[in-house]
Amino acid sequence: MSSNEMSKMKFYCDDNRCIECDGCSVACAEAHELPTGVNRRKVVTLNEGIEGKEFSTSIACMHCTDAPCEQVCPVDCFYVREDGIVLHDKNKCIGCGYCLYACPFGAPQFPRDGAFGTKGAMDKCTMCAGGPEETNSEKERHLYGQNRIAEGKVPVCAAMCSTKALLVGEAQEVAKIYRQRVSSYGKGVQSAPYGW
Amino acid sequence: MDGNASMKGKVMRKYFYFIIATLFLASAAYAADSQIWGDMRVTNIFGYGQVESKNLGPLFTMLQSEYFPMIFFGILVGVPAAFAMHYLAIGPKVFPHGGKKIYIFSVFNRFVHQVAALSFIILVPTGFMIVFGDKLGGGSLIRLAKDLHGLATVPFAIVVIPMFLMWLKDAFFNFDDVKWMMIVGGYLSKEKRPIPAGKFNAGQKMWYWIATLGGMIMILSGAAMYFMDFDIAWLREITGLSQIDILRASAIIHNVVGFAVVALFITHVYMSVFAIKGAIHSIIDGHMEEEEVKILHSSYYKKLKDQGKV
Repeated sequence: MSSNEMSKMKFYCDDNRCIECDGCSVACAEAHELPTGVNRRKVVTLNEGIEGKEFSTSIACMHCTDAPCEQVCPVDCFYVREDGIVLHDKNKCIGCGYCLYACPFGAPQFPRDGAFGTKGAMDKCTMCAGGPEETNSEKERHLYGQNRIAEGKVPVCAAMCSTKALLVGEAQEVAKIYRQRVSSYGKGVQSAPYGW
Repeated sequence: MDGNASMKGKVMRKYFYFIIATLFLASAAYAADSQIWGDMRVTNIFGYGQVESKNLGPLFTMLQSEYFPMIFFGILVGVPAAFAMHYLAIGPKVFPHGGKKIYIFSVFNRFVHQVAALSFIILVPTGFMIVFGDKLGGGSLIRLAKDLHGLATVPFAIVVIPMFLMWLKDAFFNFDDVKWMMIVGGYLSKEKRPIPAGKFNAGQKMWYWIATLGGMIMILSGAAMYFMDFDIAWLREITGLSQIDILRASAIIHNVVGFAVVALFITHVYMSVFAIKGAIHSIIDGHMEEEEVKILHSSYYKKLKDQGKV
């Protein structure tokens, strides 16, 4: 494993732990002061009511390594940071919707802002890493929300997840935590602490 | 008389349906339940690349990232380049414009054509601006192009059905068109020999079908992308596609049909403005040079003569 791959940032939602409290999406919307109708993060429940098959999970931009949104954008407004976080420039975005068609996760959101219901600039999860504006500037906060990564903080959704279902961090670290959880199922109380 | 009335009724009804469908898309856009970001969101993830999915997500990504802009660039450069060579090597056809004229296009014909022409003059360049948005820096300029692209669709959507109906009977292909194709419309030689063609030649007929039927496909696929989160259950049932896959299919169709529309639009402009000097005047004042009709639309001229109209 190259050191480059080690440093890619990833989200992972452990559906054995997610209790559909919606805390992550509320925290996200409040922290970034998102307009109503824009859900950067959303909790969904599958197979509702079917015993043994029902589970919930939290979805947002998954910051793909081969981000399809970045590949299809006609104005090339996406950029992928060294650490793998996929961000975009709202001043370049024309709100065409192509990124949404390419995205497997339905991550791109489009606020309706024109008189004729034209789509505004796309909005999506930034993994709390802001955008291309000056770091922690008022402009960045207004367009993209908080830049917690720059402040050395964990993205707000994972930070407040009460069951620590939602994990975020370097891919290898997230994998390590999940591996530990899986291997300790059914073995009573763990000696290692939860989370990171 | 009776037949004419029922025909008119049919036309009106078709027109009515088209307007209703457009309004339906618009109102459905504001339906409360999101078809993309609601409960459907997870179903859509499974639909991305799983065995039973249509794989439209990866298909669209591949086409848009590797082929669409390149093909549009090829058309934008290649088609005018080919015509420039034609102009230099063979040259335009020049007919005297002072002789007897034949009245061809009514005021209604010309009005409908001009509305469509004005829409296309906005639609085609703004479409290209969106396709090459990255080269132009994106931002407010391309956003303006996108908004104009949507606005210019409205007048075209109003005239596309009248245009389809008013020229339909002259647009069916016949044996003349086969002969026309064999000699590529006579454009490869300078000689003025009578060319087999009715009111419209085979090239014009191709453009007619692409501009009207293709145009309607462009309007509907474009409207789907514009309104995005509309809720039309029967559309999903008929196509068997989820909302997000309908959008992906619309984007693919809009681009592919767009290739044909822009290639033939450039051809249409070249033919009327450059290749046949002064041909454009027939759609401005409705009159066409008798000599021009005699040579370029020989079958039509014969028909007019038999009817004693010339």
